[in-house]
Amino acid sequence: MRTKTLLMPLLICLTILVFVRVASAQAGDVAVVVNEHNPVTKMSRAELRKIFAGEQRSWSAGLPIKVFVRAPGTHERGALLKVLGMTESEYKEYWTRQIFRGEIQAEPSTLPSNGMQREALIVYPGAVALVSFQDVKAGMKVLRIEGRKPGEAGYSLN
Amino acid sequence: MRRTPWTAAALLLLSTVCYPQDPAPTDTDTIRQLVQQLKDLQERVKILESQQSRADGAIPSSSNIPTPPTELEDQTGTIPTEELERHEAHGIQWRGFGEVNYKVLNQRTPELGTGGFVSGSAGNFYTGDLGLFLTSKLTDRTSVLSEIVFAERDAQRYSVDLRRLLLKYDYNEHLKMSFGRYQTNIGYYNWAFRSAAWMQTAADRPLVMEYAGNGGVLPTQAIGISLTGAISSGKLGLNYVAEYGSSDTIRPDINSDGGVNDENNGNQVNVGFFLRPDAVLGLQIGSSYYHDKISNFVQGPSIRYGQSIVNGYVVYVAHGVEFLNEGFLIRHAALHFSEAVFNTPAFYSQISKQFGHIRPFFRFQYLNASPNNTIYDDVGLHFGPSFGARYDFNEYIAFKAQLDHTVRRSEPDLNGLQLQLAFTF
Repeated sequence: MRTKTLLMPLLICLTILVFVRVASAQAGDVAVVVNEHNPVTKMSRAELRKIFAGEQRSWSAGLPIKVFVRAPGTHERGALLKVLGMTESEYKEYWTRQIFRGEIQAEPSTLPSNGMQREALIVYPGAVALVSFQDVKAGMKVLRIEGRKPGEAGYSLN
Repeated sequence: MRRTPWTAAALLLLSTVCYPQDPAPTDTDTIRQLVQQLKDLQERVKILESQQSRADGAIPSSSNIPTPPTELEDQTGTIPTEELERHEAHGIQWRGFGEVNYKVLNQRTPELGTGGFVSGSAGNFYTGDLGLFLTSKLTDRTSVLSEIVFAERDAQRYSVDLRRLLLKYDYNEHLKMSFGRYQTNIGYYNWAFRSAAWMQTAADRPLVMEYAGNGGVLPTQAIGISLTGAISSGKLGLNYVAEYGSSDTIRPDINSDGGVNDENNGNQVNVGFFLRPDAVLGLQIGSSYYHDKISNFVQGPSIRYGQSIVNGYVVYVAHGVEFLNEGFLIRHAALHFSEAVFNTPAFYSQISKQFGHIRPFFRFQYLNASPNNTIYDDVGLHFGPSFGARYDFNEYIAFKAQLDHTVRRSEPDLNGLQLQLAFTF
């Protein structure tokens, strides 16, 4: 009886501990989100890099891609730089170069909050953005990257 | 006694919940967060006002003109950023690039791309190129791009060169068209660095990549049509470039003897392919073939040569490393009166690595024109190393220091020191 009394709270505690850890890991994942009417459901990490590097500028259906990014210092920005393999200064320099090469007109719009990103995703049919998984809301369609969604084991964007 | 396990569990749970949290924010963090929240709210209000003005378009006024829904995609201004505001005026994106140089030469006579250097002096200041770049989006797929350069010439006079003026139309990923004056896509360097010193790691361009107007051997510009796009190739990342246009290269002698070579080029064709494989981020491998007909200015404009330029390159730019390798073979074959053929090989290799603000670099270059080649009678043999470093003060201003040693055929070696402030605005 005494053992049972001792074990029960510890078991509950362990369960909560596991839950907190899993939730924490999921919060660290960054989701690739698009307009909910976009037919795209998945992409590879290489495609993701091309889109956020401005090398691919339209979806397969021909819809122009509109990239939105978060400001420097945010979790999503960190994930973006990992995808591109750049530092913050290299990122800024990259877009200046791309503009001067004539490859693009302007660097992706930087938005100050995930709420703004959600608004942009609703307004622009071809919009794509990176959003912390915990901030994914209605109106955002989460894409599978390399076959996995945020929170799943092996998801590589965080 | 029975409460002990529950108390222990509660403490354990509390510590678990508290553990992943960040330390308490400082006053600075709090202020930053508040400022960020204020900005968020301001941006949100702007968007809502924009949406509201579209919805209430029934009462038009100077500040409330109804916007057709089809233009929604163009309303990037509804979500402005600091960078956009700085570089956009009335729908025109603009950028400026400038440089100030100080160069010392042991032979007191400059070669390529140093129009402001005073021959006879051991060293002097000059400004190089001032580039103004304008671009404007006309529709989702159409835009205009121009690049105007003010280049310093002898006696601190400046010439204006319209380096690029293009009407661009992106049909899709596989077909992007440009009409107008373009920079020929011979090789990687022209595409990657254009004419801005700020964009280049080294203080100057490799000899073979110098602009024709500065004495460079390649036909760097033309007027016509340029097509580019991706070829479906999976993870290979294959792209093409095709150009057809007219160029008229007038090239000053690179030995600064005042001579000018007017090549009277016919229409040119340039076709190239390049790979950007998914497997290696930053790797680009490409090749191109250029052909036109030119006059041998020494023998007279009616003496025509076929000019073919083959280029191949392997470039790696990622993770702070820049490794550029390009090779060229320029072939001149007489079309009439003779069977003379001249081959001019050239290459350069440049490597650099970013360490914080500093990027040390090393370059070796080689250019060898036959002494019997009357088209390149001023070029001869040039080869040698350059090394130095670039220091980026911030994302707008860079300082470069570079030492050059160039071996030349039938002329004394040329040693130089170049200091450069390059900037963008």
